[in-house]
Amino acid sequence: MLNTQLVEAGKRQRGRLLINGVIPFLVLVGFSLSPFVYANQAILFQMMAFMALAQGVNLLYGFTGYLPFGYVGFFGIGAYGMAISIQLLHFPGLLAVVMGGLLSAIIAIIFLPLLRLSGAYFAISSLAAAEVLSNVVSNSAMIHITNGPYGEQLTQSYHPVTSYVAMVIVLVLTTVTVIFIRNMPFGRALMAIREDPVSAAMAGIAVVRSRSIVWLLSALIAGLTGAIFGWHLSVFYPNTVFDLNISILAIVFTLFGGYGTVTGPVLGSIVLYGLYNAIGISDPQYFQLIYGLLIVALVLFLPGGIISLIQRRGNYVP
Amino acid sequence: MSREPILIFENIVKKFGAFRALDGVSGTLAPGEILGLVGPNGSGKTTLINVIAGLYYPDSGGVRSQEQDITHWPMHKRARMGINRTFQIPKPFKSLSVEENIALAYHYGRKPAMSPQQALDFVGLAPVKNQLALQLNSSQQKLLDLARALAAGPRILLIDELAAGLSHQELQVVADHLQALAQQDIALIVVEHHLGFVNQLTERVMVMNAGKEIFQGSLSRAAQDPTVSAVYLGTGS
Amino acid sequence: MFTYSLVSGILFGIFFGFMALGLNLIFGVMEMVNLAHGDFVVLGGYVAIMALTSLHINPVVSLVIALVLFFLVGLGLFFPLIPRLSNSRDPEMLSLILFFGLSQVLEALMVIKFGVNPESLPLSVFGNSSWHFLGQSYQIAWIVTALVSLVMITLTYVFLYYTSLGRAVRAVMGNREEALASGLPVKRTSAIIFAIGIGLAAMSGVLSPLMIGSLDPTSGLGLTTIAFAIVVIGSLGNPLGSVVGGLVYGVSLMLMQTYLSSWSVLVPYLLLLIIVLVKPSGLLGKGVRHA
Repeated sequence: MLNTQLVEAGKRQRGRLLINGVIPFLVLVGFSLSPFVYANQAILFQMMAFMALAQGVNLLYGFTGYLPFGYVGFFGIGAYGMAISIQLLHFPGLLAVVMGGLLSAIIAIIFLPLLRLSGAYFAISSLAAAEVLSNVVSNSAMIHITNGPYGEQLTQSYHPVTSYVAMVIVLVLTTVTVIFIRNMPFGRALMAIREDPVSAAMAGIAVVRSRSIVWLLSALIAGLTGAIFGWHLSVFYPNTVFDLNISILAIVFTLFGGYGTVTGPVLGSIVLYGLYNAIGISDPQYFQLIYGLLIVALVLFLPGGIISLIQRRGNYVP
Repeated sequence: MSREPILIFENIVKKFGAFRALDGVSGTLAPGEILGLVGPNGSGKTTLINVIAGLYYPDSGGVRSQEQDITHWPMHKRARMGINRTFQIPKPFKSLSVEENIALAYHYGRKPAMSPQQALDFVGLAPVKNQLALQLNSSQQKLLDLARALAAGPRILLIDELAAGLSHQELQVVADHLQALAQQDIALIVVEHHLGFVNQLTERVMVMNAGKEIFQGSLSRAAQDPTVSAVYLGTGS
Repeated sequence: MFTYSLVSGILFGIFFGFMALGLNLIFGVMEMVNLAHGDFVVLGGYVAIMALTSLHINPVVSLVIALVLFFLVGLGLFFPLIPRLSNSRDPEMLSLILFFGLSQVLEALMVIKFGVNPESLPLSVFGNSSWHFLGQSYQIAWIVTALVSLVMITLTYVFLYYTSLGRAVRAVMGNREEALASGLPVKRTSAIIFAIGIGLAAMSGVLSPLMIGSLDPTSGLGLTTIAFAIVVIGSLGNPLGSVVGGLVYGVSLMLMQTYLSSWSVLVPYLLLLIIVLVKPSGLLGKGVRHA
């Protein structure tokens, strides 16, 4: 009797893993094949970048409750870490991307004390931290390292196809990471910390270490994404890669789709980035108005995002 | 009673601003022993529990257990060495199921420990194990706190006001349970307002007032102690 | 140079203390951070600019218009939004996100209505004379702004400490649960404070173009961050705290602009990071509070 229950549970587990696996697979196939049928590669590339950022926000907010308004700081540092590696160290593009990701993780280590804050204190302080990073990078005193306000020109390393492929890989790896964390005991532990850090510690969970791991992972994701983004553009300015709207959109996409799930940020990015392309480029203010109203409506009526409409009936959503 | 103590706390001082919540409290606890911690509201009972569990570090004084100075250890490390607790206001992981709450503590806590199923059966929450913790009533949530602590393999268990809100019969059941745990060599500190409940559990009590220990010994003698009567029972002059 | 920075820092500080006052009141009473605070400040600025350029209304009059108008806007926003939030599972986070959404809506509406170009008020709006003090001269507009700010902060202080409604407000700030349990009209008090908070934000916005030069629809978030830094520096829920925080910010900003001008944009962000990491309860605060 017990045995059959266990077998059933095992089957359900495997079934769930299979459903989970479908998502990164669809992401991989979708973004690998779509350039052949859809000419506007820039849109596809940016959608991937935002999807990866949304997953990074999801990891941090969905699993630890920290809402990072300053998430773009890691993105910008990634882009500049990559650019500096190419300009000053003459690294090849892919290695420079890795350096960008690492530099972001190092910055995240420096800003670890921010995790002592919670709620609005964290959200606004992370924004302040991103502003500090942005202003340091663009300051004229940094001209020999970052070229200050004049931005970076990496035309010699411009590889649109390689950078596109790199973005696909980072996005798929990010998605798989979120799946792993969500389905491992570690993910449960993070949810427990989010619910009640004191109880979590009494359950034997290393609260500070667990949060720090997620913080570093999400910084790494943003750093790699920013590095590839900068590489793909090959010409950018501090304002391009430290634009606060990047954080804002990544957060909005995550909240809209549904945080704490794997599907939510994917769905949110596709739907809202699609909408952005339809109206956001010519009339950004109308797009902003729409997503502002969407956020207000979500908070009041559907805090779990659109995914929660499906979950509400007891369905499992990866 | 001659057994080696598993917990020693010495001269614990804990200040909140100018207020001395604990003002030099000391004591020891042996495996299998139950210590009742009583005293009026604000006397420092819960603060002492919090210092032992690691929620606060004391301003001075020390806590030792199993040959280690754990005064400044983080909570999860204490949990993994076998110090665990319940909370006055229960703190379950509300959006996880009852079983998941306990399974987490079993996964991350000390071994050997009660399995989640055993812990569920022990506190009688097995019938509601698939419910979310937020669906439980408050006395069930208190039992969930206890079950979670048990699944983390405690050697020292700090129980903060478990009795409040329980019926007379439930009290009897809980008292039997705690005694059964003591039989398994778990050391217990039971913070309690309800003196009858303490009486059912143990003879040994520590009475606190204004951050200080004012009496340590048997409950029956405490009742006759003039200082205790004055501050706690309110019958003194 | 030093005297000039110090005196102008104090004048700016008093203004920024006033600018942060509304955020402080709402935070203190409702335990919610109004992320759209800066957008209401900017809206107040637009009221003054529109009133002056199209109707030739002096900003002094606009002060009253902005206060009354946005008090009503605050009341109008409170009832459909806030009670629903207070009853939700995580009011703190959800309110943050809600106000973030509101901030985006306001920003978008301002772009639609006023365009993206910066707008400002002429510094000579209160006349061309200037104030001479210790060998330096200061814009009369700054003096007027600082005086208005001081008056409003004092009035708020009097309201909180010498009126029965103010006492109720302080009771709610002290302990919301206890205030609820003791039968205080917490919801009504919250509604009024919310409306006052929004009204004061817009009112300070009327003067803001004179102090920060120019406004555009995206100025809001930066102002919210500055206001939040000031509130945290000065300790929340304490109108005097706003003044202390404002002075710390104003003087630091002016000293940086004088001696290290290329880094002066960092002032609010660095101040905020230092205070939250070193003393999150603020300079006047007693205990740490999580919000």
